Amino acid sequence: MTHEYVVETDALTKRYGRKLALDHLDLRIPRGRIHAIVGANGAGKSTLFRILLGFLPPTAGSARILGRDSQRLTPEDRGRIGFVNEEHTLPGWMRVNAVADMHRRQYPRWNEDAFRDVLGHYHVLPEQKIGQLSRGERAGFNLALALAQGPELLVLDEPTLGLDVVAKRAFLESLMYSNATDDCTVIYCSHQMEEIERVADNLVILERGRLMHMSAPDEFCARVTHWVADIPFKGPDPRSVPGLLQLQRLDGLHHYLVLDQDEDFAEFLRASGARSVQSMPVSLDRAVNGFLAKNHASPDAQRAHA
Amino acid sequence: MIDLFKAELMRFRWWAAGCAALQLVVLGFLTRVVDLAQQPLLVYRVFAAVYAAAGLLLGLYQIGGYRRPNTWLNLLHRPLAPSRIAIALLGAGAALLAAGVLLPLLGIAAWQENMTARVVDMRHLLLIGSAWIVSVCGYLTGAYLMLADKRQGYCAAVFLLLIVFSQATGFGAIAIQALSFAWLLAMVLVAFKPDLGTPARGATRTLITAAPMTMMMWFALVMVGFGVEFLWIAQGSHPNNVAVPNVDGEKEIEVLDGKDLFVKGLRSSIDPEAPLWREQAAIADIDGLFPGLGEAPARHQLTNIAPMEFDDTERRVRWVFSHDTMHFEGYSLVDKRAVGTLGMAGDAPFPAPVLPVGDKLLVDRSTVYQYDQDANLVLPRARLPDGEAITGYGKAGDDFVLVGERALYFFDGRALDGSDGLLTPSLRVPVPGRIGDIQRIDAMELLDGWLLSFSFARSSYNAEGAEPWQQIVRAFDDGRSVTVARRRIARDYPQAWRYQDWFPSPVLYAVQKAAKNAFAGAMAPLPMAPAPVPRAMQVLAGALMLLSTLGALWRVRRTGLPRPARIAWVLACGVLSVPALMALWAMHPARETVPDDLVAHPAMA
Repeated sequence: MTHEYVVETDALTKRYGRKLALDHLDLRIPRGRIHAIVGANGAGKSTLFRILLGFLPPTAGSARILGRDSQRLTPEDRGRIGFVNEEHTLPGWMRVNAVADMHRRQYPRWNEDAFRDVLGHYHVLPEQKIGQLSRGERAGFNLALALAQGPELLVLDEPTLGLDVVAKRAFLESLMYSNATDDCTVIYCSHQMEEIERVADNLVILERGRLMHMSAPDEFCARVTHWVADIPFKGPDPRSVPGLLQLQRLDGLHHYLVLDQDEDFAEFLRASGARSVQSMPVSLDRAVNGFLAKNHASPDAQRAHA
Repeated sequence: MIDLFKAELMRFRWWAAGCAALQLVVLGFLTRVVDLAQQPLLVYRVFAAVYAAAGLLLGLYQIGGYRRPNTWLNLLHRPLAPSRIAIALLGAGAALLAAGVLLPLLGIAAWQENMTARVVDMRHLLLIGSAWIVSVCGYLTGAYLMLADKRQGYCAAVFLLLIVFSQATGFGAIAIQALSFAWLLAMVLVAFKPDLGTPARGATRTLITAAPMTMMMWFALVMVGFGVEFLWIAQGSHPNNVAVPNVDGEKEIEVLDGKDLFVKGLRSSIDPEAPLWREQAAIADIDGLFPGLGEAPARHQLTNIAPMEFDDTERRVRWVFSHDTMHFEGYSLVDKRAVGTLGMAGDAPFPAPVLPVGDKLLVDRSTVYQYDQDANLVLPRARLPDGEAITGYGKAGDDFVLVGERALYFFDGRALDGSDGLLTPSLRVPVPGRIGDIQRIDAMELLDGWLLSFSFARSSYNAEGAEPWQQIVRAFDDGRSVTVARRRIARDYPQAWRYQDWFPSPVLYAVQKAAKNAFAGAMAPLPMAPAPVPRAMQVLAGALMLLSTLGALWRVRRTGLPRPARIAWVLACGVLSVPALMALWAMHPARETVPDDLVAHPAMA
């Protein structure tokens, strides 16, 4: 039985002491395509994955993965869900071929072509011990294993963390050009926006355990605009600037990064004393960073709260 | 599953090989110096502790390596049931311990059996098997410590404590160890789940963890008392350590000279001869008869009370008792070659294992034997009637005295040295209480018999012992015996101290006693007659049970437990008292809630 959503959470909440890692999260990730989940550190991404895979109980709410209550996953369910984490934790004392053999026997839908296809991007020898592989090679081997398992859902939790530029590129190309991803929904969690731009069809932004945005990356970029205004003296009070994400003053010019503002924003700036106004699109990296930085903890923000 | 098993074997293969090699070197050295099959209990306990520690370290290291969140996720997130993954890992651990612990021991035993004249019995093979089970129990304890929540992981140690304190012997000891192994395995399997932080679900799983947890809590309370006792001793007013023991107290009974004990005991006697006996006691020789043996060897017991061997110094032969053949088997102390066997009165097998106790005397459960060095014969010399067990022996004047479970038997000591037949007791004096309560027996010879002082204060400092008293019995040569004095011995310890193990949970107190003595057979503690529990202690125990019930009612409402589990916990706390409440507190934290002040603003998109 296939479900419309690979991940469904309803008011999912997880509490650690006085903090909420997940705060009444309602998230529905549809089947198919590559979905990127981004968020600052502490946004709740890893907690979400741990709950989804049944390794952590929620404080409140519910979570379903591939239509199954995440706290009641069967071994068969686990065989349908691939998972790659940032540490690429594989047994360092085992040899590459022994690990691969083990997976071959354990996963009934093992795809040898996919395995060889992905591993072909790396110079990994079968007799090598996992502990002797470089971080990039281990990441590639881990991805090869995960894709060869033939998962319906593949969760990649910051898989390129700590990899150099070459290893990152190799990893992304392995992922993007593998046929194994054709029949599989991928959830890709990363802080690297250039990766997200390359691979993601859908962008999910989490902040402080809440869903802040979900759309195609382009749509999100379209929501964020960068305005440069030449305003003599002091500009408008930042608290009065609609949709303000970020404000900078460089070379006497005011740079505004704003959310969901149209041409009316130019009128606002002119009304605030701007002699000239110019708008420009922003990259995904800039848009997401601006979006996430808005509510990021800072001494000023905390003083304001107090 | 087999892949994981093989992977773990490969992971630790060099460690297991190193352990086996080290053992071979150590055991090889020791077996050249001593007969490892004939060591006293303490030696085997040290070996068992080392094997348990080796297993514990393996469990901590192996499972600890998987305990990190991402590693744990990587291990368990696969199309295999967690129990099958656990069996693969634990099976590998047990196999590694077999290689590191069992094989070297078997190798040494095989060498000793085939290349020397030393005795290797079936019980020694059982002992080797026991060493492996103990090491696996240590291993499973280590594994559980790593897997379980830190508030309850330590409860697995309760099975190591059971193995240490168990009185079980022979196959019974193996049964206790196997039971501990099985329960520990069940505990680890219950804990081996993706979400390590949450309590086990379901009645059976909860029971598997809650039972040892509750017992461990009882033990923790006992340890608190132990700690307080340390402070008490350090402070200097503990009855056991004061400079001068309390007058007429339990400690005084233990340290008094035999003469003074008679004088004190006879002080209240109305017997007309009492003043004369008091004067005589001051100048007479007083013989102490107890404590003595305590227990006799049981057939197929895994360890030895003491080495079951004696030397014929003239023939330069060492005779070692074999539980399999029920004969002594000899080897030359000169060239280590076998020199034959020695049975009872020639070549008959002994009816029970015989323990050499010195002076060419050997003792089994109900018979004393004597080795006639000239004739090279072991002859029965004294036997208690109706299978009554010997609990001690000694010399009183010229007599040889056997202390049975029910009476003292006096034999002519000169006949013991001057003849070789079975002696008949010249006098039988019934013990005026339970033998297990006796702290000491003192004997003073009279012209027409004996004056015997029985001090019943062995375990009177705790809930097991009798109300302490001293009783002086006059035994006539014609077989009559009468009590001539009886006095109460003052308590050194207050009630609450004596019953500190009992009142926190009378049921668990009984359970631990039963567990300790299960399968003890002939090694069971001597019979005792515990004093009735004082009313105040009964009220205290009842109050604690009530408070535990109320505490459980309050606690379960704050947990996420389903209704049947709540009822079960409340009932358990009512019956098992404080330890069960402590277990409930540790195992089931308050339900996580989301307070309003933690709820932030609604989502934007």
